[in-house]
Amino acid sequence: MNELERLAAEYVLGTLDSDTRQQISLRRLDEPDLEALISDWEARLSPLLDEVEEVTPKADLWSRIEQRLNDSGATRTTASIQGPIATDELGQLRQQLSRWRAAAVGGFGIAAGLLVALLLGNPLAHDAMVKTPHVAVFQSNDEQPAFLMTVDLDTRQLKIEPVKAQGVSGKTYQLWIKSDRLGPGVHSLGLLESADLPTRKKLQDYDPELLRSATFGISLEPEGGSPTGQPTGPAIHGTLYDTSI
Amino acid sequence: MISSSVNAAQSAGSGKHSVPDTGRLVELLAQVAEADRAAFHLLYQATSRKLYGVVLRIMKRQSLAEEVLQEVYLRIWNRADSFEASKASPITWMMTIARNRALDEVRRRTPELDDNSEIEMIADGSASSPHGRAEVSQALGRLQTCIDGVGGQQAQMVKLAYLDGLSREALATRFSQPVGTVKVWLHRSLKQIRACMAEVLS
Repeated sequence: MNELERLAAEYVLGTLDSDTRQQISLRRLDEPDLEALISDWEARLSPLLDEVEEVTPKADLWSRIEQRLNDSGATRTTASIQGPIATDELGQLRQQLSRWRAAAVGGFGIAAGLLVALLLGNPLAHDAMVKTPHVAVFQSNDEQPAFLMTVDLDTRQLKIEPVKAQGVSGKTYQLWIKSDRLGPGVHSLGLLESADLPTRKKLQDYDPELLRSATFGISLEPEGGSPTGQPTGPAIHGTLYDTSI
Repeated sequence: MISSSVNAAQSAGSGKHSVPDTGRLVELLAQVAEADRAAFHLLYQATSRKLYGVVLRIMKRQSLAEEVLQEVYLRIWNRADSFEASKASPITWMMTIARNRALDEVRRRTPELDDNSEIEMIADGSASSPHGRAEVSQALGRLQTCIDGVGGQQAQMVKLAYLDGLSREALATRFSQPVGTVKVWLHRSLKQIRACMAEVLS
């Protein structure tokens, strides 16, 4: 076995140390060869899990999970978005998200790329353009964390809802904004609270027009956020699409 | 009590089937992908004992295992639409999520967690063949044959690592071998298992 094969095998076996394990968790997102080797080893060894004895968790565990779903507003397709964003718009956006996913991965059917969706509120009632949701698709390979981002420009409330995000132990997702009006470089909008639960932020410092035209990005950073003030980990960028097309 | 995973492993293959069949789980996952909370609850009821078994065996401590299990189900909720029935059975897909999450956590916490500590909780007592499908038992049989072929301590190491989440260091302690030796043995065992599996399947 070559080095990559050994890494994949030991990653699945579980014997890599924490740092190496995290590195592999990240690398597999960008390296299809590594991902394929990991999948092969998962398939090879998973019959062993048949041996694991069942254990009944505490009776209240389900209610704790349900509570976390309620707290997070993680309803996926049901109406939980507050403010002027209509449920049907969100549903429509998700449908398009699914189509992009399907288109992006072709016959492989593997999960989506990082996707940040901008669902604009309705600050200018007469401006049809503003009412149209915009979506930014961030695609680097077949499997990336995916987030759905909604922005209410009236209140400048931003909500990032994980769609297919994967938490990486000891790492944090950090949100960035880039706009010509902000000068060169990107500016931090802070950390995402969790890869499993939505994060809400208030964007007081940015006017609606800037938000409407800005590019957003998410990068994977050390716990506590980027040490340099600029993205240091894997980040994916995309272009805004008009979802009415 | 699962005091020795190696012994526990030998009792597999008999007993009740508490996880519903694959078709039913595929249905439930499809409904969960549509944000169906009722289906999610059914999925939890059908699979939580198995997933908790996987997580607890690695985490050892009940409180930590419960935290991890919550995250596992939130992850399943969020990712249900990425499940592909052509690539893995639903229970294998879910167990892989559970096992990965538990390993991430236990590696992050080492050496806070003693890898050789015993599981806090009593298993349900009935060794079960949870997939309830003959082909899975066959797959286990094939894999077991290949692991047995590795022989002795090295075969035990593979299972202790995979099922109980023991690190190289913990294996080194348990088998009184240098860590470097454990690493070499693991690589050799894995290579041998891969070759054996390829042969058996061809």
